[in-house]
Amino acid sequence: MKRLLPSLRAKKRYLAFELISEEPASRNDIVREVISSAASLLGDVTTSDCDIKVLGFEDGKGILQCSHTRVKDTRASLAALTRINGKRATLHVLGASGTVKRATEKFLQDDRLFESEVEP
Amino acid sequence: MGKPKFYDFCVHAAPDGDHTATELVSLARHFGYSGIAVANHSDKLPDKKSVMPSVEGFEVFRGIELVEENPSKLHSLIGKFRSSMDVLIVHGGSEAVNRAALENHRVDILNHPAFDRSNGLNQVLAKAAAENGVAIGITLRPFLHSRGSRRIRLLSDLKANLELTRKYEVPLVLCSDAMSCFDLRSPMETLALAEVCGLEEDEALDAISTVPERILTKNRPGPGYVREGIEVLEGEDLF
Repeated sequence: MKRLLPSLRAKKRYLAFELISEEPASRNDIVREVISSAASLLGDVTTSDCDIKVLGFEDGKGILQCSHTRVKDTRASLAALTRINGKRATLHVLGASGTVKRATEKFLQDDRLFESEVEP
Repeated sequence: MGKPKFYDFCVHAAPDGDHTATELVSLARHFGYSGIAVANHSDKLPDKKSVMPSVEGFEVFRGIELVEENPSKLHSLIGKFRSSMDVLIVHGGSEAVNRAALENHRVDILNHPAFDRSNGLNQVLAKAAAENGVAIGITLRPFLHSRGSRRIRLLSDLKANLELTRKYEVPLVLCSDAMSCFDLRSPMETLALAEVCGLEEDEALDAISTVPERILTKNRPGPGYVREGIEVLEGEDLF
């Protein structure tokens, strides 16, 4: 199928985030909890507008994609996430950017990851 | 105007919450707060006076959340703790307690005023709060930890309270009411969540930075302070 013209493609923002949790989690766990938290807070209709996708996640940091008009709703639904696999966890958004490359360079390069000294 | 400073005025450290003040402070600093107030419930205070952790470039305030059902006992508790605390919060939850807290100008914040089937505020209490400068605390923890019908109930209470606070210009304070590190949220996420829950952008920003700052300047007067409205100014060209 012919690819959409760049001007017609949906505009996106990329949020770099880190996971602070009791136990490590996998990408699939995060995807599931983020979507369920967004659906619960915003409802299915608004969540579909947000277009949330977890692009990658490893070593406690990751990038997710959302619609450029729905950054606030996406941040709110990330904040409303309290548990992953029944273990307490929170996602901290490090920053938002218009491209994956810039988000990675700007927020994920340096080792400012919070030392998990909050083990139970 | 520079970058706003963010404060979280209701954080519970051990033995009230799960984590120590040091852990909470380091996480809050990482999240970008300028200061937090460790405000334990008054019925779960540590035996000896705890030492506040000090970190450079970050302020830790002494706070307390008074839990008392009896209004006259509440007033005496307020008198007892007022001088030693930077932030004095009252844990609301009944008509008598809400009223006692909002009519006392020495109280800084009233947290969770809602009870049973009521949103906790009415025009009389809102007027009293505006006159006495008592802020209404919006606590995030209940919104995070409930879903479905309970969260809907909380949101409709919040919206009813917002109507009143807007009409009578009652200050609002956004705080996490964190019992553990996992309840803390960074300022940007707190703002986003508050906006989704019905606050306006500038209201939410005021509630997390301007109003807390005003509470601090009220409770930590400058060196020339004599009494309310009177201050000794120093300097050459005042007039």
